[in-house]
Order: sequence, then C-alpha cells, then structure tokens
Amino acid sequence: MTRVRINALLAVSLCGVALAGPVSAHHSIQAQFDINKTFSITGTVTKMEFINPHSYLTLNVKDADGKVTKWAFEMTGLAGLRRAGLSRADRGGLKAGDELTVTALAARDGSNSGLAQELKMADGRVFKLLAEPNGN
Amino acid sequence: MRVLACSRIMAAAAALCLLAATVVAQQGPPARRTNNAPPKPSGATPRTADGHPDLTGVWNGLGDNLNGVPNQIANNGVIIESESSARDLHNGQPVAVFSRNTNRGQNNEEGERAASLLRRSGSNRPIYKPEYWEMVKYNDHNANEEDPSNNCMPAGVPRGAIPSYISQHPNYVMFIYPGQGGLIATQTMYRMIPTDGRQHTPLQELDGTYTGESIGRWEGDTFVVDSWGFNANTWFDQIGGYFHSENMHVIERFRREGNTLTWTATVEDPDVLLEPWTTTPRVQLLNPQPNAMLPESQPCSERDLAHIVTKEHH
Repeated sequence: MTRVRINALLAVSLCGVALAGPVSAHHSIQAQFDINKTFSITGTVTKMEFINPHSYLTLNVKDADGKVTKWAFEMTGLAGLRRAGLSRADRGGLKAGDELTVTALAARDGSNSGLAQELKMADGRVFKLLAEPNGN
Repeated sequence: MRVLACSRIMAAAAALCLLAATVVAQQGPPARRTNNAPPKPSGATPRTADGHPDLTGVWNGLGDNLNGVPNQIANNGVIIESESSARDLHNGQPVAVFSRNTNRGQNNEEGERAASLLRRSGSNRPIYKPEYWEMVKYNDHNANEEDPSNNCMPAGVPRGAIPSYISQHPNYVMFIYPGQGGLIATQTMYRMIPTDGRQHTPLQELDGTYTGESIGRWEGDTFVVDSWGFNANTWFDQIGGYFHSENMHVIERFRREGNTLTWTATVEDPDVLLEPWTTTPRVQLLNPQPNAMLPESQPCSERDLAHIVTKEHH
C-alpha cells in the first residue's frame, strides 16, 4: 500500500464525525467518478449554478484545433465556496467569463465532466475545494 | 486542451466529506456530535394563548432532518454510540460496525459500504406482504434510479419527518421542509395542516398527493397529524426500497420539550404491509439562534444519473 493510498484512507474515515453516520452522498463518489484519476483542464466559465443535489460549474474549453466543447463539473455549494475563499465577498465569486483551470476527478463514463477538486484562476491563485478534516 | 492524469485519492476522499457537509451548512449551525443519541431537552416549553405547547420555530439545530442527525439510521432503530459501537434500539443487540468516526484505516469504498450496511441493519423495518418482497429488494438494489427522492421529487410523508420550520396558528399549523441536496435530491415541500376540528374527506374522493390530506389535533401536549390521500410515489427512506400504496394512512406525533421536538410516525398500509409500522422516534433541536431564519433552499435539478455506473445507494 502506497503512502498516497494510506492518506486517502485517513481522509475518508473522517467524514462521519459531524453527521454520525451516512457518508453516502446523493450518489456514491465512486459510482460516478474515478478516485484514482484526476485531470486538469483550462477553460472559460459559462455558468455557475448553485443547485441541489450538487452545484455545477460549466466551462467552455477550446482544443488545439480551436474547437470549443462544453465541460461540466460537479462541485461544492455556496458554503463550500465560502470556506474555500471563493465567495462573492472574497473575490467577486465565480462568474461567467472567468478563465480558470479546473483539477477534477474524471468521470467513469468518459463524459466531459468531473468532480472539481481545485480551481486555479488566471492570476495564479489556487482555491482548493476540500472539506476541513473534521467534515465541517 | 491539456489533460493531466495523476493520483489524487486524498482529494477524492475529502470531497465525499464536502458533499455531506454542504447540506448542513445550508441549514444552520450543525452541532458537533460523535453519536446519534437523542439530544436532551433544555429550557422551558413555550405555550400559545390557547394553552398548547408552541411548536413554532426553526427546527434545524442538528442540521437537516432528512439526512442530518438524527439521520436515516434512526428510522431503522440503530443508535450509534461511539466510533466503534452501535446498538439496535428495539432488541438491544449490538450491531457490528466498522470504525467510522476517526481516522482509522478504511478506504473510500469500504467506508461507504460500512455506512450502507449499518443503515440496513436495524430491526425496525416495515414488514411487507410476501408478494412484495421481490419488489422491495428490487427497489433497494436499484435505488439510484428508483428512489424518487434521488431525482428531485418530494420526500413525502413520513420520509420528510420533522419539518425545518413550523408556524403554529389558532386554526392551522404550517410545516416547511426545505429541498435538500448533497446526500439526497429532493425538492421543497410544505404542508398547511388545519386544526379547526374538521374531518377527513372520504379517501375515495381524494386525488392522491405527495403530502396527502393532513388534519391536526391535540392529544394533551402531543400534536397529532392524521394523513391520508397520498399518491404512491414516495418511499419511507433512502435505504431499503420501502414503498407504499395510495391507500396509506399515516399518524404522526410531535411533542415539544424545551428546545427539542420528538417525532414518530405510524404507517398503516394493509394493501402492502402485513402490519402497521412505527418509526423509531427522531429528536430535533431548535435552532439555537433566537433570530434564526429559514434560508432559501436551492432548486433541484438532477444531472448525475446519466453518468452513474452503479445501481445501489451507498
């Protein structure tokens, strides 16, 4: 077992603290995303939607040939963005037109989607969309 | 386009926590807890001018009622006593658990499975007629698609459990259940429950709805809500595949003691159940902030099911 692997085990087992129980999401993380495969992709924000069951960030991504495709990233909601320092009060929020690089878990079905883990803004600032270890 | 593949298991694991935590954060200040034992009441029980306990308030002191604490596990009657101990409330027997609340070795998939098993282990279950056993099993095994509240439909009654907001008036009581995401996908639901002494409409004259025809009355200090006239589109819980018929009759009991509200529901559904089923009591705390407001709940739009490669809720 690698060190990376062990770290993962530690992190997930912390989830149950505040909720005393279900670490399940609306769906299992692994039901949709490959926890062993992350990728980074750069694009322009077209939409930030704060909706249930999961918020979505939509990007337009231009490939080497200039063709633009749409990518959709499941991500944390308003409270999570605030914790990450990405609220409107912090920096104007996430809005259409922002250039950024998303690092995400890959979709297991191979679609143009992922579970966002980190946002790197055009000015170099990085926002990690991770929970605090205590699950709050 | 530049795609980099690398291992980020830690991030994935933490993201699971994040999804869960978001729900609570939207609902108000969550209490830090390491078990799901019912909270002890404190403070006086306010009363209205007509002498009844006043249930008015924002009841989300423990997070949301569908998935917070008390959570779904409580419906099955399993109490989590510590990180390594759980017990069935009805038969007193210990329930085998994986370590859950601390950073012991347990990978993501095992963690999800452990929670899933625990939520299925309680002995307080609705007992179905034998001809429906396969249907219940099918529902449970295919809950990602079959569970209506995994796809933005209302949770219904009794799954809605304790409303996050109650407003008590002389002739009616208003219940509001905000839509939830993160752990579930369900839309906002409200109930306007008359307490003016009216009687039920005959069942066969009612078109089935998600919350049915609900009529309230006081039995001493207990607020009793009697409901029928449902559709058959809701489940009792996220786990188990427990469905019901449109002839379901539900009697809920709410009792306020200080800053706590205790709820149970008894379900009578002779079309599909062998006997009435009573949920394990849930206890919710009043929001500790005296000026607490119920925040807007986000609209629900399910976009993941098309990308999900498994069938069973975890």
